[in-house]
Amino acid sequence: MRDAFSDALVRLATVDPKVLLLTGDHGYALFDKFRKSCPKQYINAGIAEQNMIGMAAGLARAGFRPIVYGLSAFVPVRVLEQIKLDIAHDQLPVILIGDGAGFVYAQLGTSHQSTEDIACARSIPHLSVYSPADRFELTACMDRAYKAHAPVYIRMGKSDRGDVHADNLPGGINGLLELKRGEARDIAFIATGSLVRTALDIACERYPRASVWSAPVIKPIDVSQVVDICRHSSVIAVLEEHSVLGGLGSVIAEIASEFAPTRVLRIGVRDRFSQHCGSYAYLLKEHGLDRPGIEKRLEDYLSAN
Amino acid sequence: MTTSPNPAFDVKTLRTTVLEMAYAGSTVHIGCAFSIIELLAVLYRNHLRYPGNDPQASDRDYLVLSKGHGVMAQYACMRELGWLPDEAFTRYFSDGSDLKGLSDSRIPGLEVTSGSLGHGFSVGVGIAMGAKLSGTDQRTFALVGDGELNEGPIWEGALFAAHNKLKNFMVIVDENGFQAMGRTDEVLNLGSIQAKFESFGFETATVDGHDERAIDDAIARLNASASSAPKALVARTIKGKGVPFMEGDNIWHYTRLNPETYEKALAAVAGGVQ
Repeated sequence: MRDAFSDALVRLATVDPKVLLLTGDHGYALFDKFRKSCPKQYINAGIAEQNMIGMAAGLARAGFRPIVYGLSAFVPVRVLEQIKLDIAHDQLPVILIGDGAGFVYAQLGTSHQSTEDIACARSIPHLSVYSPADRFELTACMDRAYKAHAPVYIRMGKSDRGDVHADNLPGGINGLLELKRGEARDIAFIATGSLVRTALDIACERYPRASVWSAPVIKPIDVSQVVDICRHSSVIAVLEEHSVLGGLGSVIAEIASEFAPTRVLRIGVRDRFSQHCGSYAYLLKEHGLDRPGIEKRLEDYLSAN
Repeated sequence: MTTSPNPAFDVKTLRTTVLEMAYAGSTVHIGCAFSIIELLAVLYRNHLRYPGNDPQASDRDYLVLSKGHGVMAQYACMRELGWLPDEAFTRYFSDGSDLKGLSDSRIPGLEVTSGSLGHGFSVGVGIAMGAKLSGTDQRTFALVGDGELNEGPIWEGALFAAHNKLKNFMVIVDENGFQAMGRTDEVLNLGSIQAKFESFGFETATVDGHDERAIDDAIARLNASASSAPKALVARTIKGKGVPFMEGDNIWHYTRLNPETYEKALAAVAGGVQ
């Protein structure tokens, strides 16, 4: 996914000289290709994220197309107010990239782990929220964000979990993407980012009648599509490497409860910080977001309800 | 680049407008508007270029009011330019009206949505960076309060502006010596503001912020400088300037006018009592 990101940056910046890449002193090797291809469109704003977001707004006002890169713990969470007032308020065309979302920086601890960014970002008016699951979704998200000419936050989580699509998405992304067709009145898995691959694996091996959907666009969500999924499913299981408070699970539950009451099981981070140090796989397990943990949660829920 | 029509921006008129709208809307923040009247008058009269008198002309200069609390002073100038109708002033703060108590960038002529301090400086730096990258001669002025200098992003932006040699960027500090809860040197002592910006790599000057000629000369001199450094102009001002009973009394950050103080203030401004 990171190669696809680098390629998309270079492609957009080559086509449009107004595209600028701003980084808060992050992305050491990631931007080698960009810096070589488009050196005049690269700005290292230093370890000064608040100023970087304000400047991105100023650059957008001056006719540029800033793409702002940071770790998702910092962009958008640390700079939420700058995003709200300086960018979103006037619908400025700034693309915000929050890398390392979820538990990517497992061993580094709480400061670099990011499981509240979707909740923060989606409550800001005019700000779209994308969360690609693989390189194909990432490429489509970058194109959609560029064409939107409006504020977009793109959440990049664990990037090496394997493709969920076979190829590029020539039609782009419009709504949720069906990865596995299911049968009526069965489970629908709706997942985003790093856990789409897990949802697909669980469904294929354990719940062959279930449908699986990827949600690369969390806001704006296609409400009628979600309602349709709710009406055709007995239960929805939402998977995300993000807090169960305010993330995709909340989005689906809000729509289901308002328009098509369906049981919605929100599987995500359960309002807690990580306790221990360990690998990415270890932390997923600590939070019950590894495959056995998710399967157990699902089984418990289905047997109790 | 052609310049806009050139209204007088008479400071008595501007202060009277502020009083009229503050009284009509029963609003606060009169003191912080009065300390920047001369600064804005000089900027609009002599320095800011708005081709076709269009507040949104793509090749305009930018005035970023980072200290949004002084926005009534900017409204008063925008009235002189014909950008705001009289009704906007008589109906200030009425239900459904457009002008708010802090600057809102959806009003043509206001470049940022301020009030949360320390934002406009960075946006201004970004605009200046954009002008530099585009190779235009547009200038960006960011007007900040001295209390606002407590905010960290100001200093992040100052580092960036100096590092990137944004000579087209000028921060003007309204050093009125007060912030919300008291004197700046009692709340969080700033020391020498000029020395601070100097040490960040800015070309600096300090003026009497109520001496229009001195302000004009200082801005012209800084703009004409051959140095590639960004500029910082520290304007020593008096909070509430122009109305003796408001001057230097921080209560006018919060106090609303009543019929008596309104008439008294109008008379003071009209009489030019200093």
